[in-house]
Amino acid sequence: MDEQQRRTISRRQFLTGLGVGAGALVLAACGAQPGASGGASTAPTAGSAASAASGEVQFWDMVWGPPEYIDTAKRVAEQDFTAANPGITVSYQSNPWSSWPQVFTTAVGSGTAPDVSTGGGYQAIQFYPQDAILEIDDLVAEIGVDAFLPGQIDGMYYNGHYIALPWGIDIRIPFYRKDLFEQAGVAPPTTLEELRAALKALTRGEQYGIAFAGASPLGWQSIVSLMYMFGGGFFTADNQLDVMNDRNIEGLTFVADLIKDGVVHPGSAGFQDADLSRAFGTGSAAVMFFSPSAEERVPEIKDQVGILSPMTGPHGDKATLMFANNLMIYKQTRNPDATKAFLKWWSENSLPIWTEGHAGNLPARRSIAADPYFQENPFIKPIIDEWVPVGRLTGNHSTGTFPALADIDAGGMLNTLATDLLQGRDVTETLQKLETTLKGLKSLQA
Amino acid sequence: MSIKTASSSSSELRVVLRRRRLDLFPIYLLIPSLVLITLINLYPFAAGFYYSLQDGTLLQTGAFVGLQNYLDLMTRPEFHNALRFSAIFALFGVFGSWAVGLGLALLLNRDIPGRGFFRVALLLPWILPSIVSIVSWRWMIGDQTGLVNVVLGFFGIRPIYFLSTGEWATFSIIIVKIWRSFPFMMLSLLAALQTISLEIYEAASIDGASPWQSFRYITLPQLLPISVVLWILMTIWSVNDFETPWLLTQGGPSNATENLSVLSYRYTFLLNNVGLGAAVAFFTMLILMIFALILLRRQQREP
Repeated sequence: MDEQQRRTISRRQFLTGLGVGAGALVLAACGAQPGASGGASTAPTAGSAASAASGEVQFWDMVWGPPEYIDTAKRVAEQDFTAANPGITVSYQSNPWSSWPQVFTTAVGSGTAPDVSTGGGYQAIQFYPQDAILEIDDLVAEIGVDAFLPGQIDGMYYNGHYIALPWGIDIRIPFYRKDLFEQAGVAPPTTLEELRAALKALTRGEQYGIAFAGASPLGWQSIVSLMYMFGGGFFTADNQLDVMNDRNIEGLTFVADLIKDGVVHPGSAGFQDADLSRAFGTGSAAVMFFSPSAEERVPEIKDQVGILSPMTGPHGDKATLMFANNLMIYKQTRNPDATKAFLKWWSENSLPIWTEGHAGNLPARRSIAADPYFQENPFIKPIIDEWVPVGRLTGNHSTGTFPALADIDAGGMLNTLATDLLQGRDVTETLQKLETTLKGLKSLQA
Repeated sequence: MSIKTASSSSSELRVVLRRRRLDLFPIYLLIPSLVLITLINLYPFAAGFYYSLQDGTLLQTGAFVGLQNYLDLMTRPEFHNALRFSAIFALFGVFGSWAVGLGLALLLNRDIPGRGFFRVALLLPWILPSIVSIVSWRWMIGDQTGLVNVVLGFFGIRPIYFLSTGEWATFSIIIVKIWRSFPFMMLSLLAALQTISLEIYEAASIDGASPWQSFRYITLPQLLPISVVLWILMTIWSVNDFETPWLLTQGGPSNATENLSVLSYRYTFLLNNVGLGAAVAFFTMLILMIFALILLRRQQREP
């Protein structure tokens, strides 16, 4: 075999290899094409797995608590449920929060969504307009709306249908330092007027009355909670945008006045959650709005942490912002009956994810909230008894849920509102800026 | 005779074809690379441009809207803000890291004790994973208990909340960018410094040139070609930088540190407006392509 022959053979081999390689690439590209009609039926997807005769349900769960949460939730879903429902098996997958929009969007878009998942307060309404979420009116009718704590099921209602079950409550609560209040000779306030006076009395040197986490969603959620105590809200009862109303201006002026009083921690605009709890723990802030179980973030002063009761606003309103975490079924499920059975069971029997998994939110089901684990906890009982009944979803005066709420919740415009205020900018200008941004939202234009 | 002629022309044709096949062989070799480049670069490029002309969401492509997304962008204050911040971030980040890198390269080019150790130690900011270094910076400057404010307090200075006002946050993010980028500048400039012939400095010294004059008229001109390349590369990386603003401030406070990359992410994944997000990304790419073209031109001109 001479040099020329060797070269000819290697060229042929090369071209053959190239052809095979190119073919494989083309096939791979066709197979991976999102939304391709044949893709879902030819590739073994999560959805097709669920449609198998075994009655498997694929459950994607977000990380709702410390590491033990995942192990507990997996055990409850895969073992406890199957023990109670022998015909159905559950496959549990834990998903981190860091990339949830990309993960769920890719899964839904490529036909590999789970049968059921947990999610934040607006995940179902985010995907419902894309025809990705299954309506569960029959399930809600079976369970009954009274099975849930106040305000929870309302946030699942859209265009005449229930699109998810509420399962966990996230709510913003004002925590206070008992020791700092005692040192300042201040009693826990019961009205917003008293709160302002108390914060003034608590401010001395590098100690401030209140701090916010402006660099995280907690910042705007705390400020909006104060605004709701004035009866404010961003929408009317028929879900029309209503930003520049008097109550909003009044509520945000109250926050601006606190800043002018010098009682707001000057680092607030740049604080993240950890900075806020550190400021509270070290005593440089006497009050902070936070999620339930904030006392666990400052274990060294846990016995000095108290929860303020709902304060009455100048117009008689008592309110705070809360979220109803979603439990939803995806339309791609091949096994809707088994999935609904799981959804109903999980809603009723997921107590261990709190008692053993230490989930950070509160249960939306009355039956679970009535458990001694919650009722005997001095930090949880007042929240369930006093704050949840006055909790308001992001829409506040609006009816049900709607797609714009998902954009408002995640879009960052309320972060801008909060940090604008915390940097001392004018209230009216700040609200006008928000109104302009909201009017530009595609979901509101639609 | 005619049979002989036909046979001769046929063999000539075979020779020609063989030659052509041989000539085509290098091109065949390029095909796998071309396929990969098409799939990895050209397809996303074309798809991104296509999405920017549509009114789509993450799950639905939406209607064709022509250049409406680009026109819409031009009227949005957040886009103007992101453009302005990207320019400031790139300008100060690039020249700051170049200046620090140059200073350290000049020091390390001398025969100082522990030179080998410092050469490695000063690379740390570049080697550390961005999540580790940026979160550490956040801890150091985020509140009054951070290291920087503790040190300031030691000198009787009241705490500075570096991430709580637009001005301080912009300043801080540029400092972090400089800190993360100077090792690359330093390494490249040090390599260039070592190629400058010592004879030039000796000749200048004999002619009575001061150290400053040697630096001004020998070192800087000799470093100019590599510096231009570094400026262009670092500008591209700065405009494209998502992790520094996102991990440090998430674009806040009040969007003061939101660059084009963060804005594109926010539009696409948080506001579900793929058309607008793709338009920002494509606009960013056009800006970066200008810098890339300048860089390519320079490289082509070099011998």
